[in-house]
Amino acid sequence: MKDPRPPLSLRLRRRRVRDRLATLLITAGGVGVVVSVLAIGVFLALEVVPLFLGADALSPRELWGPQPVEGYAEPQHRWRPEPLIEGDTTHFGMAPLVWGTLKAALWALLFAVPLALGAAIHSALYMPRRLRTRLKPTLELMEALPGVVIGFVAGILLAPWVERHLAGSLALLVALPLGMVAAGGLRALLPMPLRVRLSPGWAGLWLMPWLVLVGVATLWLAPAIEAALFGGDLRGWLADTLDLDYAARNAMVVGLAMGFAVIPGIYALAEDALAGVPGSLGEGAQALGATRWQTLWKVLLPAAAPGIFSAIMIGAGRAAGETMIVLMASGNTALMSINPLEGLRSLSATIAIELPEAAVGGTHYRLLFLAALVLFAFTFLVNTLAEGVRTRLRRRYRRLEGGT
Amino acid sequence: MRTLWRRRGEGPWPWLAAGSVALSLLMLLALLLLLAIRGLGHFWPAEVALVALQDGQPFAGVAVREEQIPGEETRERLYFTGNRDLDGDRWRWVEVSAIADIRHPAELVVLQRSRWGEFHGRLVAVTGGGEHHTGEAAWPALQARLSELDVLRDERDRLRDDVVVPLVRRLDNAGNLADADFRAALAAANARIRELQSAMGDDILILESVDGRRIEQPLDLVLRAWRPNAMSPLDKLGAWAGGVWLFLSEGPRAANSAGGVWPAIFGTVLMVLLMSLVVTPFGVLAGIYLNEVAHQGPLTRLVRIGVRNLAGVPAIVYGVFGLGVFVYGIGGTLDEWFFSESLPSPTFGTGGLLWASLTLALLTLPVVIVATEEGLARVPDHQREGALALGATRMEMLTRVVLPMTLPAMLTGMILAVARAAGEVAPLMLVGVAKLAPQVPVDGDFPFLHLERKFMHLGYHIYDAAFHGDDVQAAMPLVFATALLLVLVILVLNLTAIFLRHHLRARHGAPSRW
Amino acid sequence: MSFFTSSSAAGGPIIDFAAAESSLEIAGLSLAYGEKPALRDLTLRIPRHRVTAFIGPSGCGKSTLLRALNRLHDLNEEVVRRGEIRLEGQDIHAPQVDVAELRRRVGMVFQAPNPFPMSIYDNVAFGLRLQGGMRKREMDDTVEWALHSAALWEEVKDRLRASAWTLSGGQQQRLVIARTLAVQPEVLLLDEPASALDPISTLKIEELIRNLKSRLSLVLVTHNMQQAARVSDYTAFLQQGELVEYGPTQTLFTNPRLRRTENYITGRMI
Repeated sequence: MKDPRPPLSLRLRRRRVRDRLATLLITAGGVGVVVSVLAIGVFLALEVVPLFLGADALSPRELWGPQPVEGYAEPQHRWRPEPLIEGDTTHFGMAPLVWGTLKAALWALLFAVPLALGAAIHSALYMPRRLRTRLKPTLELMEALPGVVIGFVAGILLAPWVERHLAGSLALLVALPLGMVAAGGLRALLPMPLRVRLSPGWAGLWLMPWLVLVGVATLWLAPAIEAALFGGDLRGWLADTLDLDYAARNAMVVGLAMGFAVIPGIYALAEDALAGVPGSLGEGAQALGATRWQTLWKVLLPAAAPGIFSAIMIGAGRAAGETMIVLMASGNTALMSINPLEGLRSLSATIAIELPEAAVGGTHYRLLFLAALVLFAFTFLVNTLAEGVRTRLRRRYRRLEGGT
Repeated sequence: MRTLWRRRGEGPWPWLAAGSVALSLLMLLALLLLLAIRGLGHFWPAEVALVALQDGQPFAGVAVREEQIPGEETRERLYFTGNRDLDGDRWRWVEVSAIADIRHPAELVVLQRSRWGEFHGRLVAVTGGGEHHTGEAAWPALQARLSELDVLRDERDRLRDDVVVPLVRRLDNAGNLADADFRAALAAANARIRELQSAMGDDILILESVDGRRIEQPLDLVLRAWRPNAMSPLDKLGAWAGGVWLFLSEGPRAANSAGGVWPAIFGTVLMVLLMSLVVTPFGVLAGIYLNEVAHQGPLTRLVRIGVRNLAGVPAIVYGVFGLGVFVYGIGGTLDEWFFSESLPSPTFGTGGLLWASLTLALLTLPVVIVATEEGLARVPDHQREGALALGATRMEMLTRVVLPMTLPAMLTGMILAVARAAGEVAPLMLVGVAKLAPQVPVDGDFPFLHLERKFMHLGYHIYDAAFHGDDVQAAMPLVFATALLLVLVILVLNLTAIFLRHHLRARHGAPSRW
Repeated sequence: MSFFTSSSAAGGPIIDFAAAESSLEIAGLSLAYGEKPALRDLTLRIPRHRVTAFIGPSGCGKSTLLRALNRLHDLNEEVVRRGEIRLEGQDIHAPQVDVAELRRRVGMVFQAPNPFPMSIYDNVAFGLRLQGGMRKREMDDTVEWALHSAALWEEVKDRLRASAWTLSGGQQQRLVIARTLAVQPEVLLLDEPASALDPISTLKIEELIRNLKSRLSLVLVTHNMQQAARVSDYTAFLQQGELVEYGPTQTLFTNPRLRRTENYITGRMI
């Protein structure tokens, strides 16, 4: 019977054409996607350039340095891109916004880094494997919580609560770490059978009820402490003695909320860095009689330092770009102060609030694009640096491991 | 002392480390519990207290919370009293020391009304349709009449939403006032609505607040009625479930302080669906290009690093890009070309469903690309060589062997993208979300899917209701419920992705058993 | 079969076949991975319908040479190649040559069995579906024939739809051979096909190789000299990328011409 299929050469040619067509399509699609993703920075830059050209060009000093403001003897940093009333002058001082962004990120890191690092150390060194494999996805879930929910809880619940219980909140910052250490000490005093039950490997879990106890006790004692030390009015004392204003939605609250959001990211990368240290290094130290902690401090941490550093950098980038939490918990006041108990205004929140109202193509509009460009450049740079550091670390580990 | 430390252990630091884990977990737990209790608790029918004050005046309300007045010894309690038409306010702070007596009489009635919100008080009489019920008979009569009313109300609402409104819109747009069929249908529908309205408008309730003031309440404005103090736990459970269902299926009322979040759920789901339709093919394509087709030199490596970095760029920056390029750029141009009659009122030149989906697609593109690349990299080389050795072209090898093996990874990428997009609010504030969208983007009018309309979004709803509502206190429980819903959806999506990834790793361990 | 000896650049006597009797001709082939050379100026002819074995210490280039024969090195951008390879007289690197078609004609079986994650039937039919245009009955017949040729039919005829990964290692390798045979190659390259299998499966594969040479030319890479001795007609000994000696298997193993060959065969060096 005659073979009904088209001759081999024709079939081959068709397949070759199909192969080439498909490759072309994939290349076009792939290149197009990659280019458009990378073009974001280019587009932002293009929108910003007209700010610095032409008759109305802004000088960097206008954006950055303090300007004379009516009613003030000294030049001030002011962000007022639209006049509030007719005839009002506009000020384009972006310094408070950048300051606010950095302040919020700093406080977020202050909360997040000790907790995340501590968690990474504990999970890499002490935790039994069963627990560790459950911990990682749990903390990953923490990362998935949307910023809007965290910001909502922080701004609506946490901020007023801290305001009402300021002494207690600050006391908690001291009491909780002390409580952790006390748990270790108290455990050493327990009889052997109980001590064995409360193993260090599972301390991450059994410390939870203990810390709740410590927290409740601290809050209960706080009014007494406040009365004894500050004459019953901590806020007044802060204002009088340290000249510190207090706003309900302030940098500390923002830092706590953003820190919560950023912990999982830093934890994951730091844990990777610590767990990736070749076992031979740690074993070498322990063979010389070092305890687990000494090994960590003297050998493992220095070896993993670049990875941990890059984890912190990525956390900083994340914190700088977070919008909803800052929007809801910071008060959005454009202040430039060191006081963590005052509000702030970040670049991202400013963009979210003001861009929908800004006239297209106007100075305000382009300034907000400049803010977006600054955020983009900062996070892009920080992430590239962190990625580069991690690659070098991976190479170093490989050399340490396989080097003969 | 030092020997004690060294013999006993390793000093304080390990305990700080362990404590960090404990504290992080505690914070997570606290947040979830907070959302669950205040979110779900809202739907549990709370008992109404009859509070008598020292100075004589009684009122009825639901206790919300208690606080210490800063700087003083006394405590205050907040009651939700409803009855905005009678009292002018729905809330009341009372010093605890001023309370003389608290009781929970079984006959206290709570009515949910479409105007003026909740009512707390007593039911005196039900009149209508020639009947008059008082005393013991009033409550059962009310319940019977309400359920009949619900049927009529449903029909009226359905006629209005599905028949009248689209017809009116069509008439407006077409300018076809002379089209007889349309006008006839419209007249018929309106007539029926009037019929229903009059059938419903007959009933009147006589209500009395606990301090003796009486009002007449038309029954057709009453949505639900219940007597919380007289309900058994089983009844309460049923009411709770019903409340949750209504929350998920109804639209918002009273400026987002009552009702449900159905339009926000719909909007969020629709937007995320559109986004995944765009991001999955392009992300997969780019991933295939980078991993399989592109020449693996320094340029490709740079591009790959760039793509991964873009996952870390703040969401708001994508929103700015979307606003500039999509909304004002492409949207403005579209308006000029196709919708110039509507100008200066923008059609596509303003935020909307399409631009929001595209912006979020851009934002989640790196996620899909990375997931696809990881999946492709996990396909062993010997499978590729096996296909090539049988005479397959490169595309045939990809489509018939490699891609089927990568499917789970691509699916994981898509799920992660969806999970990320469901929670992002900041870019949406710039490119398309609305506080209150009167029309859902999908309806019976051609072209059925209206990409230029603004839509409601769960995350934005939280922000808006918590910060821009007039009665934030009243909206609070609903905001918690919405937050809980959003968190649950995202958690489920993430758990699915994690489970998939685990399942993948277990499967791709050792392909051939020998 | 007339053959004459000639000297190669390395100084040892080399078997040479007439062009008409050889399936594959390798002429002056040199290959390097970037800076590292892997093959140095190889010249030999592979006879048709015989089994030719490549032996040599690890790293000598035998696998590299095998993979050059079906242009698998095209996938590796670092590879630098000089010299020619001809299949039935045609240069396989000529611009108009379709690589996919070449690889159909020169089939390959790998060291570790690599069946696709599909059913047994789909594995065997894979190559057939690439060609396209076959009706179901014809495909069924071809699949059955291929599985018969690979001595696997009896064991799998009742579970053609089962996943290929449910087979044992030896069965999987025969499945791979079956799917390669299905597309009717002229040459079959085997890269240590039994090194990962148990002795019984190994014997089955060896028997298969012997039976197949009536239809195909086979090239076998193996580190197992006993296997080479059992199965092949001609053996080429490679060392450090060079062809040291090439001759009839019997002669090479019992009476090698060069000391280096003898040292390797008797195990005096690895």
